[in-house]
Amino acid sequence: MRSKLELSFISIAFIFTCILFIIIGSIFLIPSFEGFLNALFSDEIQFALRLTLSTSIIAASCVMLVAIPTAYSLARYDFPLKSVVKSIIDIPMAFPEIVLGIAILMMFGNQFLWNVLQNLGIDIVFTTAGVIVAQFFVAFPYSVRILYSTFNYVNPRYEFVSRSLGYGEFETLKNITLPLARGGIFASLVVTIARCIGTFGAVLLVGGGTYLKTETLSIAIYYNLSLGNIDNAITAAIILVVISFIAIFVLEKYTYKDMEGV
Amino acid sequence: MFLEVNNLSVDLGLFHLVDVNIGLEKEDYMVIIGPTGSGKSVLLETIAGFYRPQSGRIFLEGKDITHLTPEKRGISIIYQDYVLFPHMSVFENIAYGLKKRIEDKEIIESMVIDIAKHLKISHLLDRNPETLSGGEKQRTAIARSLIVEPNLLLMDEPFSALDVNTQTYMADLLKKAVSDYQTTCIHVSHNFNDVWSLAEQVAVMRDGEILQQGEVADVFSKPRHDFVADFVGVRNIFQGEVVGSGKGITDVEIDKNLVLHSSDAYNTDFKEVIVVIRPENIIFSNQPFVSSIRNQLKGIVTGVVLIGPTVWVEVYVHGTSFKGIITPSSLDILGIKKGNEIYLSFKSVNVKLIDKD
Repeated sequence: MRSKLELSFISIAFIFTCILFIIIGSIFLIPSFEGFLNALFSDEIQFALRLTLSTSIIAASCVMLVAIPTAYSLARYDFPLKSVVKSIIDIPMAFPEIVLGIAILMMFGNQFLWNVLQNLGIDIVFTTAGVIVAQFFVAFPYSVRILYSTFNYVNPRYEFVSRSLGYGEFETLKNITLPLARGGIFASLVVTIARCIGTFGAVLLVGGGTYLKTETLSIAIYYNLSLGNIDNAITAAIILVVISFIAIFVLEKYTYKDMEGV
Repeated sequence: MFLEVNNLSVDLGLFHLVDVNIGLEKEDYMVIIGPTGSGKSVLLETIAGFYRPQSGRIFLEGKDITHLTPEKRGISIIYQDYVLFPHMSVFENIAYGLKKRIEDKEIIESMVIDIAKHLKISHLLDRNPETLSGGEKQRTAIARSLIVEPNLLLMDEPFSALDVNTQTYMADLLKKAVSDYQTTCIHVSHNFNDVWSLAEQVAVMRDGEILQQGEVADVFSKPRHDFVADFVGVRNIFQGEVVGSGKGITDVEIDKNLVLHSSDAYNTDFKEVIVVIRPENIIFSNQPFVSSIRNQLKGIVTGVVLIGPTVWVEVYVHGTSFKGIITPSSLDILGIKKGNEIYLSFKSVNVKLIDKD
């Protein structure tokens, strides 16, 4: 016999999961399957899909390259202003993405930096590069968060033993730390890619959301919905939902099993 | 000196070391004992090079290694929780350090097989470390650190996660392995059995300080510090020779004409033993009495010392000193005074024999 508390809590869990499921499922109640297919193979959605995937992969790779050393140093070393660095990295998770977008825009719009980048032939604002920069800063804090707890979870004694057996710092990182953290690194990569793919506000402001130039899937939803082009909007949404499901599935299947026993 | 630690001080916030001095000769086996949180692990990890000392020097074979990186010291470390690499098999764990030194895979393999035989883990080489028992994990960890023939082997509570039977077995195995590999060892523990069964040298540590260091018998019989006396407890420790056994009783001669009876089983490999009797297990009486107690000796009181709420009584029996502990009221009732004759009784079960080779 289950207790009252048990029953009521389980009911709440069930009811709200059902509501959530119905909400997600309602996206699939498209006007017609033909309309979905037409939209899927339209120039706009095809372009948005390609742009979103390619920029997200580039941005996520850059994030990982920076986040691994950042998270490792936060987990292992003591240095001045460490707690300040940690707080600054966490800030973007708390404030709205669109604020991050306007901040990036202000920075790259700064006359001095603008001139320097122009001389180097780099265009950030309203370009594909801008999309990547926006995705990078949106996803970076999440990546560091996951990697930080992963590295904290790897007992430093593994590294001590490796060092004492004759391996230097880099060899130990390569042979011991990274393999032991591989579950968390993978989880961080999946979450990072998912964040990059789904981001909207910052990408719209920095990239400009130009048709067939910097229009990502989430921007396509917004534009098409405001223009009354429901098929395109819903198709873009379905693609995003499918990608999220794949991400969650991969995460469940490969990471948590891997983290056990470390 | 083979290893010399001079005035080593480390401050890690929670743990610290204060002016630690240690000296060890080659192939010495030192056990450092002290209560939890006394800085024993930090001392080992500083000697291994994981922490930078605030001051002091560490010399190994006359070379100053204070600022050498851990990988250049040739010092292996074994932990209580084994720290076997979970993404490698038992074989790969043991071979890990060798791979850095030797290219030839066949030589590596034969060396791993050899040490696995030594530590009786040959049948486990293909296994994943997570499937091993505690004792098997620790044997793997010992193999992994010994195979590179370290200058110095550091062990941080290596047996404390094992059950008592396994501890005894592991101590024997470890003792043989380190003597075969001629390894100098520092072993940190809070268990006195480790001292009895393994140590040649012992150091007592508290709050990051080494209070006393020396030969085992010396430190235990002549504590120079209140805390050491209190922590190790003054014990009756004798060198003995097994002279007979039967009916579950082992007879040990600790001096000419002085034979004690112990119910500890006698290991036929060892004739020389160390005999330990805790002072609180000795019963004093003015007259001999008939009982099931197997050991009854007549002696002369040579010392009565009041320490806190207890009285320490020293009695000489045929020139051998026994120390017992009684309450002040027992002292009054028995009228124990220096120079009196007195009888000592203790059960054979309280006479502990420790193999000595």
